[in-house]
Amino acid sequence: MKYRILIVLFLSSVLVLQGCASKEATVNYNNSETEIVSVNDPLEKVNRVVFQFNIIFDKLILRPIAVTYRAIVPEFVRNRVTYSLNNLGMPITAVNNVLQGELRKAGVSTSRFIINSTVGILGFFDPAASMGLVSENEDFGQTLSVWGVESGPYLVLPFLGPSTPRDFAGMLSTSLLDPMYQVGGGSAPDSLRTYRMGTGAVDFRSQNIEILDDLQNNSIDYYAAVRSFYSQGRESQASNNLEINTQDQENDIFDDFDIDESYVGPDIEIIYD
Amino acid sequence: MIKIKNYSWILIFLLSFAAYAQSSEFAQEEEFVSNFADQAIEILSDEGISENDKTSRFTNVVMNAIDLNLISKFVLSKTWKNSTDEQKERYLIAFKDYFINSYANKLDQYSGEQVQIVGSEAAGKYVIVESNIVREGTDTLKINLKWRLINRDGDIKIIDLNIEGISLVIAQREEFQSFLANNDNDIDKLIDKIITVSN
Repeated sequence: MKYRILIVLFLSSVLVLQGCASKEATVNYNNSETEIVSVNDPLEKVNRVVFQFNIIFDKLILRPIAVTYRAIVPEFVRNRVTYSLNNLGMPITAVNNVLQGELRKAGVSTSRFIINSTVGILGFFDPAASMGLVSENEDFGQTLSVWGVESGPYLVLPFLGPSTPRDFAGMLSTSLLDPMYQVGGGSAPDSLRTYRMGTGAVDFRSQNIEILDDLQNNSIDYYAAVRSFYSQGRESQASNNLEINTQDQENDIFDDFDIDESYVGPDIEIIYD
Repeated sequence: MIKIKNYSWILIFLLSFAAYAQSSEFAQEEEFVSNFADQAIEILSDEGISENDKTSRFTNVVMNAIDLNLISKFVLSKTWKNSTDEQKERYLIAFKDYFINSYANKLDQYSGEQVQIVGSEAAGKYVIVESNIVREGTDTLKINLKWRLINRDGDIKIIDLNIEGISLVIAQREEFQSFLANNDNDIDKLIDKIITVSN
């Protein structure tokens, strides 16, 4: 029931957003003819407000938890947690492999889950990888992109952070499709879900404490930096499954930049004091 | 389910061959990245030198390996062409400080990761060398790094680092473009901001 409400809410928001997108996206950022412009952010003003809210939430809650977690829990245990989270993501990856028509990858993901859950002791170790079974996590957002759904404009969601309508839809559907959520009933799947959501956030945050601190402190425009990281990261994940290669796009961006050697500028000396 | 599992055992075979099929097209460029990583790691893992010494030696290695001038122009995009010589000069100096500042005082965070070269390929005017960083204490948690290099008659320079699909130079460029778009495309405001952040 509660999913139904969410889906309805979501669908209506997509329609609204796409209306905005088609109107505004063409107006923004078209200040150059030659450049390949990849920024699709017609809701930048609202997004920036939510982004500020998320920064405060992170500062007050998520970051302190992540810092404490890393200080208290030994590296060996933290690595085990990362592995077990990867393992719990395998069933949904397998489902998405199938939905993407990648049966061989689905086989790998399934085998990984079976081997690592047993031989790998509840997924705390990754013996499957040493057997040559390697796979990337796939979510429903990536499946939608394989199906040709455009990502739509950049969105910053409260608490959840950077997203797009496509990825948000993928996230909601992932909870419906994940075998881990469907198996059995009662408290076991519920606690697994909580473990994945909560620990997943802390695990991710604890691996990125310095990176995100640095990014925040050294940014000219932190919002734009995170937006670029998110968009580039998602695009490159999606392109793993598509014929088009984001590396080609990236090459085009670099190649389009003609190397202007006419003005070399001041002699850049290597002095550091 | 049974069928899928059968598939997977075939795949194990295929994968074990695929892992060795990587060839090194651009040996010179691969050696360059490998040398650069070795030099950098040697400095980072040197416990016997002061923080300042470490940063200055590291900066030396980095500045010799990258084409900062090209990167500076690239991240500024078309604004570069519309700027006066005076602005260009101020910007180049500010960006260099900003760049060094972005890693200075953080070099002690290095904890034994190693860089493994995976392969290389042509990418338009450039060459991309692919490598992995293996997380300390594991053998399968890897971070993928792609180095974009320019080779001017044997003079090789790094112009971008792509981490797990994210190009740092493109991210920097989008950041500058966003700042400029929100600040009347005024390069002087950008330069002032760069200087404030680096201090």
